[in-house]
Amino acid sequence: MSRVDDAAGAAGGEGARQSGRRMLRRTPDGVKPDVWLMTLFFPAWYAVFGVIICLLTRVTPPPRPDVTAADKVAFFTQHHLTIQIGFTLLLILLGGAAMTNGLVGYQMKRMSVGSVFAYGYIGGMSVGALPGFLLVTVCFLTAAFRPDRDPALISLLYDLGMLSYNGSLGCFTAAYLVLAVAILYDKNNVFPKWFSYVSIWQIITEVIATQMFVFASGPFSWNGSIAFWLAVVVFSVWLGALIVLLRGAARQEPVTAPALA
Amino acid sequence: MTLTARPEQRRDEHVPGDNDMWVMVLGDMIIFAGYFIVFMIYRSMHAREFLAAQEHLDVNIGVVNTVILLTSSWFVVRAVTAARAGRSAQAIRLVYGGGLGGVLFMALKGYEWVAKIRAGHGNSEMFYSFYYVVTGVHLIHVLIGLIVLGTVVRELRNPGRRRATVVESGAIYWHMVDLLWVIIFALFYVMR
Repeated sequence: MSRVDDAAGAAGGEGARQSGRRMLRRTPDGVKPDVWLMTLFFPAWYAVFGVIICLLTRVTPPPRPDVTAADKVAFFTQHHLTIQIGFTLLLILLGGAAMTNGLVGYQMKRMSVGSVFAYGYIGGMSVGALPGFLLVTVCFLTAAFRPDRDPALISLLYDLGMLSYNGSLGCFTAAYLVLAVAILYDKNNVFPKWFSYVSIWQIITEVIATQMFVFASGPFSWNGSIAFWLAVVVFSVWLGALIVLLRGAARQEPVTAPALA
Repeated sequence: MTLTARPEQRRDEHVPGDNDMWVMVLGDMIIFAGYFIVFMIYRSMHAREFLAAQEHLDVNIGVVNTVILLTSSWFVVRAVTAARAGRSAQAIRLVYGGGLGGVLFMALKGYEWVAKIRAGHGNSEMFYSFYYVVTGVHLIHVLIGLIVLGTVVRELRNPGRRRATVVESGAIYWHMVDLLWVIIFALFYVMR
C-alpha cells in the first residue's frame, strides 16, 4: 500500500492526480493518467515536428544537393520567413523529443531486462538529435538571418545543415540496437518481438545515409531514393508502429503498479 | 475417421516458425525489393556504363558463394528435420555446418571487396556504389544470421527448451539470406 502511495506521490500528489484525471477525461480505465498524457503527447509532438520540417523549414522533402551557390542563396531568400519561424519554433520545442524518448525509456524500464537498456536508448537518441536536429537548425537559422553574407558561406551552411540533418541518421543506430536487443530479451512482452526486427531495419537503412557525404546526386545523395527515401519509409513504419504499441504498453501497465525506481 | 484425421491435418496446415519472424522476413524482402527496383531503374538509364563496370566482377567467386550459401541452407533444413525428430546433437552439428557456410561466404565476399577496391573500382562508379551498398547490407544480414544460428544452438543445447518454432524461425531467416543472395547474384553478376 505504501508503495502505491509513493507512486501517487511521484506523480505529484493525490490532488494533482485528481486534477490530471479531470484534464484527461478520456483516460481509459485502469491506465495511469500521467503515462497516458505522455502517450498522447508522443504523436502530437511528432505531428508538430512534421509540420516544422515538411511545411515550414523545407528540409523534408530535401532541397537538391547538386545546385550552385546562387541556387542555394535563392533557396534561403525564397523560404527565409518560414525557415525563421519553423526552426525558431523547433529551438523551443526540441526538448519535446527528449520527452518522447523518455516515454519509450519508461516502457523499456518495465521490461525484464534491466534499466541499462532504457538509459542506453535515451542516451543514444540524444546523441542522434544533436547533429540530426540541432545543427541543421543553427545552420539554417544563421543562413536565413544573415542573408548579406558571402554566397560561398551561405552555400556552406546549406551543405552543412543538410549533411548534418540527413547524413547523421546513423547516429541513432546505437539507440535502435539497444531497443531491438531489449525487446528480444524482455519476458514481460512490453513490445512484440516483430518491433525488434523493425528497429533492426531502421539500423540498416539509416547506416546507408553515410553515403550522402560521398554523392552529390543519384540514389545515395541526401535526396536519393535509397539513402533517403527508403530510410524515410522505414522510419514512418517504425514510428507509426511505436505510436500504436506505446498505447498498448500503457494499457498493459496496471494503474496500481508502483512507480518505477 | 474425422477425429483421427484432424490432428494430422492441423500439422500440415501449421506455418513453420513464429509470426514475428515472418514479419521480419517479408518486410525485409520488401526493403530489398526497393533496392532492386532502384538498381534496375538506374541500370536502364546507364545501361552501357553498368555493363562495362559489371565485366570486372568475378563471376566465379559469385558462383562459389552461391553454392556455399545453398549448401549451408541444406545443412539448416536437415537441422530442422533432426530437431523435429528430437535428435538434438545431430541438429547442433548441422547448424554448425550451416554457420560455417556463412563464415566462408563472408570471407570470400571480404576478399572480393578488397580485390575490387585495390583494382580501383571504388564507389565513384555508380554500378559499384550499388554493389557495395547492396552486398554490404546483405553481408550485415549474413552476420545477423550467424547470431540467429547461435541462438538456435543455444536453444538446442538446453534440454529444457528445444522448441521447434525457434529452430524453424532461425531456419526461415537463414533461407531468406540465401534467397536474397541468389537474386543479388542474378542481378549484379549474371544479367547482361
